[in-house]
Amino acid sequence: MKKNVLAKKIVFFTILVLVWQAISMSDVWPNNIFPSPYEVGEDLVYMAADGSLFFGIATSIMRLAVGLGIAIVGGVVLGIFMARVETVNQTIGSLVLGLQSIPSIAWVPLAILWFGLTDGGIIFVTAIGAIFAVTINTYTGVKNIDPHYVEAARNMGAKGTQLTTNVLIPAAFPYMITGFKQGWAFAWRGVIGAELLFSFLGLGFLLNVGRQLNDVSQVIAIMLVIMLIGMAVDGFIFKKIENKVMSRWGLR
Amino acid sequence: MAKLETKGIVKYFKHESHNLMALGGVDLKVEDGDFVCLVGPSGCGKSTFLRIIAGLESPDEGQVIFDGKPVTTTGPERIMVFQEGALFPWLRVQDNVEFGLKMAGIPKEERSQISKRYLDMMQLTKFADFFTYQLSTGMKQRVAIARALVMDPDVLLMDEPFAALDAQTRDLLLVEMQLIWEKTKKTILFVTHNVAEAVVLGTKVAVFSNRPSKIKKQISIDFKRPRLTEDENLLGLQQEILSELRPEVKKIK
Repeated sequence: MKKNVLAKKIVFFTILVLVWQAISMSDVWPNNIFPSPYEVGEDLVYMAADGSLFFGIATSIMRLAVGLGIAIVGGVVLGIFMARVETVNQTIGSLVLGLQSIPSIAWVPLAILWFGLTDGGIIFVTAIGAIFAVTINTYTGVKNIDPHYVEAARNMGAKGTQLTTNVLIPAAFPYMITGFKQGWAFAWRGVIGAELLFSFLGLGFLLNVGRQLNDVSQVIAIMLVIMLIGMAVDGFIFKKIENKVMSRWGLR
Repeated sequence: MAKLETKGIVKYFKHESHNLMALGGVDLKVEDGDFVCLVGPSGCGKSTFLRIIAGLESPDEGQVIFDGKPVTTTGPERIMVFQEGALFPWLRVQDNVEFGLKMAGIPKEERSQISKRYLDMMQLTKFADFFTYQLSTGMKQRVAIARALVMDPDVLLMDEPFAALDAQTRDLLLVEMQLIWEKTKKTILFVTHNVAEAVVLGTKVAVFSNRPSKIKKQISIDFKRPRLTEDENLLGLQQEILSELRPEVKKIK
């Protein structure tokens, strides 16, 4: 990051925290409704010290990883089939577009009925929330492959799964990475949402506990953690992969 | 027996309302070791003709006969070099060159032995670890040629491979291409719109007519090599080919 960009960010967030502190000190709202940044920080330290924070993070990330993993594998396979077999696109493709419009949280009742109040249910919600974004982007990616790549590969003897793994997937990768990024965003929302509604562990659960205990600073603290994890995954993992892919594919 | 023969190749370009006859029955005989340059007015279907020989498109009528047998699909004995190279950006130069060998299931050690030879021939050894975005257009075409030669095809099909190059790089590659042909004894079909390029490279130049195209004239060239584009002895031949070509170009409406 450039130096002056970083400086701007530091100044902005410092001001934000100061304004927050000022409002909480001004007695517009009572402290149990609008806690100060200090109290939120204190809660974070407390939850970190007793281990509940890290256990919550680990649980949510584990569910996310499994759910997103399923979504990526399933979405890539489905997307490739849609792009390569016209009948699959005309049939399953239209269903995928429809299912994509269902918010992942709307799958929760079905997940509870099918899986009960289990990790399986949460992973189901996470995976189904993410899979269609991966599918659609993979489809678009494969459709947009320069036909000369495929022709050259076929000419050199590539066919079937060989063609898929050696040409279609790498050639469509710039689009697929966009799909993974969208899929991750949906999955993260899905996992927190589902935990909020029916889990006994994880960050979503901790949010719910905060609400039940009327502990606003715990709720805000957990929200901050959710945001920071989101920013970290976007900024470190996806941005790095994207930059590499874009420059190598000559798109930048 | 000819190495490669086409009999009455007909191909329509499909438009929404009507079909346009692009190739109107192309007959061509190519002997083993020939370097045949195909020239013609733009849009006459010479690239399509090459793609049909490669098996990447099928003709509406006619046959491609290779070593006496009709072929309908693509095969490693007929390898195409594309205009833009069609190199894979996700692979390093060496992996691009080895692609066909990998598909054929040849083990890694053997692959790198073979690719080394061709990387060397194309003066790419220093660039083996580069990705394609790090290469100039001329370098990319060298990689594309190396990738095709590695397959050890009987016939090399080249679709305007030097069209996107600057003049100096092109002159350099024109000389190299002649050396490669002499060294490897490949049969080469080379599509170009550049007559000077055709007379420098070819043992034969086949002139396409305008649509529906046929081969209007074949001219044999047996000057000593390496020939250069500025070679005065070739000017007469260039004139001869251009005089065949000019009325065809004028017919394009």
